[in-house]
Amino acid sequence: MSLNIILLFLFAGLPYYIFFEKTKVLKSDKIFLISAFLFLGGIILSSFYPQERSDSLIVISLITSAFSVYKATKTSNFYKVSYYMLFINSPVFMMFDLKQSIPYSISLLITLCGVYFIGKYYERNYRSANYYSISGVTIATPYAGIALTIYIITLALYPPFPNAILFISNILASEIDLLWYITVVVIFFGNFFIAMRIMTRTLFGKPNATIHYVDLASKDKVIHSLIIITLFVFSFWGFKEVLP
Amino acid sequence: MEKIILLIPSIPIVIAFILFFVNKKELMPKISIMLSSMVAGLALYGTYHVMCNDTPITGLGGLVIYNELSAILVPYVAILGLVIRKYATKYMWDEPGYKRFFILLNFIFSAIYLLVMSNNLIVLTIAWQLMSISLYLLVSFNIRSKSAVKNGSWTMLTHKLADLLFIIAVVLTYKTFGSFDLAELSQKWLKMSENPIEDPAIYAIGFLFLFAAMMKSAIMPFHLWLPYTSEAPTPISGLMHAGVVNVGAILLNKLAFLLLLTPMVLNVAFVMGLITAIFASLLMLVVSDIKRSLGYSTVGQMGYMIMEVGLGAFSLAIYHLMVHGIFKATMFLESGSLIKHARHDPNIPKRLSYELFWEEKSNYSSKKMFRLLAIFTILPVLIFIGIKMVLAEEFFHFNAAIVILAFAWLTGTQLFLSFFKVSKSESLKVVFALVSSFIIILFTYEYLGLTLEHFLYGENALRFYEAATLNVTMVMSLVLLGIIVIVGWLFMYKQHFVDVPKSKEKPSKSKWLFYKILAKEAYFSDIYLKYFKFFK
Repeated sequence: MSLNIILLFLFAGLPYYIFFEKTKVLKSDKIFLISAFLFLGGIILSSFYPQERSDSLIVISLITSAFSVYKATKTSNFYKVSYYMLFINSPVFMMFDLKQSIPYSISLLITLCGVYFIGKYYERNYRSANYYSISGVTIATPYAGIALTIYIITLALYPPFPNAILFISNILASEIDLLWYITVVVIFFGNFFIAMRIMTRTLFGKPNATIHYVDLASKDKVIHSLIIITLFVFSFWGFKEVLP
Repeated sequence: MEKIILLIPSIPIVIAFILFFVNKKELMPKISIMLSSMVAGLALYGTYHVMCNDTPITGLGGLVIYNELSAILVPYVAILGLVIRKYATKYMWDEPGYKRFFILLNFIFSAIYLLVMSNNLIVLTIAWQLMSISLYLLVSFNIRSKSAVKNGSWTMLTHKLADLLFIIAVVLTYKTFGSFDLAELSQKWLKMSENPIEDPAIYAIGFLFLFAAMMKSAIMPFHLWLPYTSEAPTPISGLMHAGVVNVGAILLNKLAFLLLLTPMVLNVAFVMGLITAIFASLLMLVVSDIKRSLGYSTVGQMGYMIMEVGLGAFSLAIYHLMVHGIFKATMFLESGSLIKHARHDPNIPKRLSYELFWEEKSNYSSKKMFRLLAIFTILPVLIFIGIKMVLAEEFFHFNAAIVILAFAWLTGTQLFLSFFKVSKSESLKVVFALVSSFIIILFTYEYLGLTLEHFLYGENALRFYEAATLNVTMVMSLVLLGIIVIVGWLFMYKQHFVDVPKSKEKPSKSKWLFYKILAKEAYFSDIYLKYFKFFK
């Protein structure tokens, strides 16, 4: 049980970001890095010491997930959204089998790293990772638009990107009960709503005339290309896993 | 050699990938059209192969199949795709995002091909969701327009809900029947249908698939996304109304043997289809926006299509979706050139029908009109019954006859009544033209419908009608239909020729309330606006 509680913490089942946000000890980009690091720690730990399913901990992670959805609707900062998305997905790791949930968690982390780098790019060119009022990215900065579109579609659980395929693999491999239905609905719509909110505010809309738009630099293009290629590799792997 | 046909869904992806690296604007449509012609050619070859050898083409580990359903739908979608691409070449030229448009168009076509050709529930799930996201990106193509993006979000929400139901249904299917292979599952379902089944899990699966199909096919109360996405560029509207919205019927056809086990699901499909057909047809007459009116027309047709499925006439739904698709795509694409002509000509652009039938009316006699009205509302039904009896004697054994009869009466009456507005309607030339065209259309419709039924389902087709039976006797149905026809006919006569309300008179409260509800589209849009603000 104590291991389960540790894993609940590591897998973002407890919203410890509240502490960092309130005390302002760390900036939001650092909170994401810490969350991602703890998350990786959780994956490594659980691969050595497989956890047993605990319904009460799943319920706690579901509450965390719903709370993080709420928090994500209140921000327009890429870094914050990145770690909120991690917390939104926490029930997956508490609920589903490790064999299926580890690939999902890695693919989620890779996608969120992409969003994190988009945040860095925003910070460099628009002085902060805040995407509010920087609309019409699809037209104004097409390369950034493509990268962001792919990350958002991946986060919104749409194929052919790995999160959707691995999520299906997760839910297929587990037993169906009431908690299964609740978890599936919360994860499915939680990810979708937040991803779509970002999409409508960044990719769509009129480009802001008061902003000087700058597209991805060569170095950014290389980073995002690598992330996207990795996502496609995971997609192929996911297809192989889920198809008979 | 024929296995190459199974690569059809991947060709649009290749086109999209090539287009990504093409920077010359003139080359984009050329590449797209050239390679899409290849898809059309392959599809036609595949159809020829399936028809000649009477066996489906399978491969890629049984994940995709080119069977009878694909043999009909893939060439249809491929040719539609070619027309839309050709039309969009000039239409979209000045729009920002020319390349993006062609790339997205290829993605959605890939999803449609994959959906039609899938033989595995997981592949079907992927195609189902790919279509949702491609449609959203296309509907919101005009990213500068707030309303286009907002309406796109409604579309997305409805489709995401359909995706969730679909995924849950697939998981339950796998848990219940232990396979993803559709061909294998169909055989299993067909065998199971020999004995009555009362398993609630199977009914739950049936309902989940039905509701997912209803959402994607804009059936009430999930219809709002279709009429409100008319702001998309015309080629996208054409594709949406002719192709994308039909996926509900395609899905239900792919799962036809599952629905054999769940007669109640078929009955619900019939009722929901009927309500949608009536409701959307009424709204079509009332809404003031012409594009939205066209949207409601499509919703009504989708209602008919689901109703046909609900009656066990699965193949008729396929024929209906193709005929309606061609008609609607023509309407949308024609509207572009019509607007172009209208800009040069202050009057209505003259067409053949205009030249033949139209001239200003001087006066008319209401008695004469009533007589003609009587003939033209009864005549279609008589013609229809005659044709049906010539083609298939067993017609009267099935409840599907009722809806087809009602459909014949409605379409026939609509056609004839629309010509009463023209002054030459009483001339022999017009009467002859209308009656003969109606006979030809009905004969073709029925003949092709029956041929299609034989081609798609063979002798199993009769089982669907038996499963879909509503337990209503033929006499009762005919009496009901007769009453509807007579009441409707008298109502029309009273409204138009006898008791035309004068301007000083106020309509009764109930009539006014009914009109108000219809004019406000039954408050569906208001509810959506008020409660679905997630994307703001």
